[in-house]
Amino acid sequence: MNDQRREVERETVLDAPAEEVWEALTDERLLGEWLADEAELEPEPGGRASFRFADGTEKEGTVLRVEEERELAFTWARPGEPETEVELTLVPLVSGTRLVVVERIPAAGPTALAASAWGPRLSALGRALSLVFA
Amino acid sequence: MAVDAVFAALADPTRRRMVETLAGGTTVTASGLAAELPITRQAVAKHLAALRRARLVSTKRVGRETRYSLDAEPLGDAARWIATVGAEWDDRLADLGRLLEGRSG
Repeated sequence: MNDQRREVERETVLDAPAEEVWEALTDERLLGEWLADEAELEPEPGGRASFRFADGTEKEGTVLRVEEERELAFTWARPGEPETEVELTLVPLVSGTRLVVVERIPAAGPTALAASAWGPRLSALGRALSLVFA
Repeated sequence: MAVDAVFAALADPTRRRMVETLAGGTTVTASGLAAELPITRQAVAKHLAALRRARLVSTKRVGRETRYSLDAEPLGDAARWIATVGAEWDDRLADLGRLLEGRSG
């Protein structure tokens, strides 16, 4: 039931080869251009991941998986908040690279639920509850 | 973390049905819910207890009856987490797209 976790997923096609995208994901200076204001990342399993954001907040975590030009996964959390996992997957295309981002709260138990199964349900409930949910 | 408890509570399809029924804005009794669902009253009571633990459902005594109603607040937490984290990644990926466009000329 490991895949049944709540998560947010985003996907984008970038107009650059996987090699360049990988550099933007692992080079601290480049990470500071898009992921955070300042980034420290040791791109190896167990390596340190540390980010400072424009609003002054910080997130600290640990690198989980590194597969060059394919996958980078790490945990991060603001101090005192529960950790989430971030998974960045690259898929080389004929022209450009598809980047899939998944951020999830690690499953607390076997009953945890995938956001994919939850999404439509949630918006239906959101309507019923007059919640603003886009 | 509230969002954790909410997702765990809603992992069960029967409990999601119950929440949908309650989302209609009505307060119901356990027997009322049991009448609408193909499960025993005992099972309804068990699921209601799980929903109460997640604070998705609150109870009120009306005379001799216990009536259940949906509490939207924890559900709001779950929705907020998904909306906030999703919006953060939308922003970051837009920045990444611009960064790479600039690099490749």
